[in-house]
Amino acid sequence: MDNQIEFKNVAFSYDNEQGKRDIIKDFNLSIKRGSFTVILGHNGSGKSTVAKLMNGLYKPTNSDGTVLVDGIDTKDEKNEIEIRRKVGLVFQNPDNQLVASIVEEDVAFGPENLGFAPEKTRERVDEALKAVDMYEFRKSTPHHLSGGQKQRVAIAGIIAMKPECLILDEPTAMLDPKGRAEVIRIIEKLNRENGITVVLITHFMEEAQSADRVVLLSAGEIIRDGTPKEIFSDIKTLKAVGLDVPQTTELLYELKENGIDINTDAISVEETAALISAALHLEEK
Amino acid sequence: MSNIIEVNNLCYSYDGDAQIVKDAVHNVSFTVKSGEIIGIIGHTGSGKSTLIQHLNGLLKPSSGEIKIEGKNIWEEPKKIRDIRFKVGLVFQYPEYQLFEETVFSDIAFGPKNMGLTGDELVGRVEKICDVVGIKREYFEKSPFDLSGGEKRRVAIAGVMAMEPKVLILDEPIAGLDPKGRREVIEMVRRYRQQFDATVLIVSHNMEDMAVLADRLLVMNGGKLEMFDTVYNVFSKGDALKKIGLSVPMVTRVLNTIKEKYSGVRTDIFTIDDAVKYLCELSAGDSNA
Repeated sequence: MDNQIEFKNVAFSYDNEQGKRDIIKDFNLSIKRGSFTVILGHNGSGKSTVAKLMNGLYKPTNSDGTVLVDGIDTKDEKNEIEIRRKVGLVFQNPDNQLVASIVEEDVAFGPENLGFAPEKTRERVDEALKAVDMYEFRKSTPHHLSGGQKQRVAIAGIIAMKPECLILDEPTAMLDPKGRAEVIRIIEKLNRENGITVVLITHFMEEAQSADRVVLLSAGEIIRDGTPKEIFSDIKTLKAVGLDVPQTTELLYELKENGIDINTDAISVEETAALISAALHLEEK
Repeated sequence: MSNIIEVNNLCYSYDGDAQIVKDAVHNVSFTVKSGEIIGIIGHTGSGKSTLIQHLNGLLKPSSGEIKIEGKNIWEEPKKIRDIRFKVGLVFQYPEYQLFEETVFSDIAFGPKNMGLTGDELVGRVEKICDVVGIKREYFEKSPFDLSGGEKRRVAIAGVMAMEPKVLILDEPIAGLDPKGRREVIEMVRRYRQQFDATVLIVSHNMEDMAVLADRLLVMNGGKLEMFDTVYNVFSKGDALKKIGLSVPMVTRVLNTIKEKYSGVRTDIFTIDDAVKYLCELSAGDSNA
């Protein structure tokens, strides 16, 4: 079984006094074990719903829809604990996710709840803090950390429970550029070095650069599914669904629209500079 | 043009807790002309938030003075409430402070505090909603049924409804998607135009600052590092990098090109200008 998570014909709708509202419908998606998938979508595209369905926090609202985690059905309540252990969820606001007054106590909260012996908990906490480069802050107060540091502590709290899969729902939306870069670097590292399956949900395109796969979501539907380069070269679609297009990609696209023969699938500043230099034959000057 | 804000030798230090002393402000002086849009940039902990909380009297300087329309705001401490109506401050994530049952009551809260009642109050709320594009059908909705971007706009409109001459916004676009960002920027622009207001915006988004601001105020370590036109500030890319900031992404692309091909201009900060320049360069190339 090499699918970590599998959605089969999943629907999810809210039912309140204003009527029934479908968030997603006929949703099918498989996430491969060990992969790094980015789900891109604007606010209200259904991406947070998809995140919560992935660890059983939400269940499909249609009877024939299933979400399987490691082959286990999230609908069956007796699987709940096992699923939560396999799939950890990190949210947008780090302040809402930190509970203790000392960093290491916060990270210990999960393993302690799982009933580990103190020595085992100690080991897990140290390992997790080292994995997010926050070990030296283990005795600090979360309140005194920067946003990026707090979010890394929140991630450590999840990985101390050794999940197979980490789902992050806009983990950088409230951070400054430095904090964002720190968190993305850690997420990439956890995937590459620790083999954790990562699903990163975001509306920042540039965070998807090193993903294996990008899934583009709009109005509850998957409208594109491919490698970052495939998705990012289709600027028209990205803009049409209200996504952030980095200035680099946008610049290349605008140059092409203005009749310059140029590739548009770069995101990094270096790649973009190289493409422009080549297209304008700058080396001949 | 007259100076609406004048800050002279502003110093502020927190008592006691040495851990957070990094947030203090040291000897900051600057003036803002009426009608300007000022971008305030600086990395986390550089003193931006502490600085702006002085401008409407939420914090009192340890030393130095703040003048609004030529008058020291602490001259009559009992009248500091009037300053809060004249200088409106929108905090970070203001939507977390929505608390009324309807959108209308939330927006009406500020003007009500100013003493407006009855038709005058209703008129005030309707006026600001027309200016910033909040439709009447939203009035009776609960703020909690709105999307994130809509909540943000309602929260900002609540401050705008007091019609402050100076509007200060702390990271008003953080956490919003591009559509939400555009809407907030547009509502700030319209407010400024309609009320001849002066606007100060704290932001991490250099790309938006390049398009929106007249001048940039750069904070670093509690000190005023630079206060100059967008052009002059973004021309000092190396100095900005040293204090943890960056120039817009298009400028970084041009800087990278220049490392190999020296005749390339790097004083370009927006997509539109970059496209124009590179197209000219390309045309020149094919004519040669």
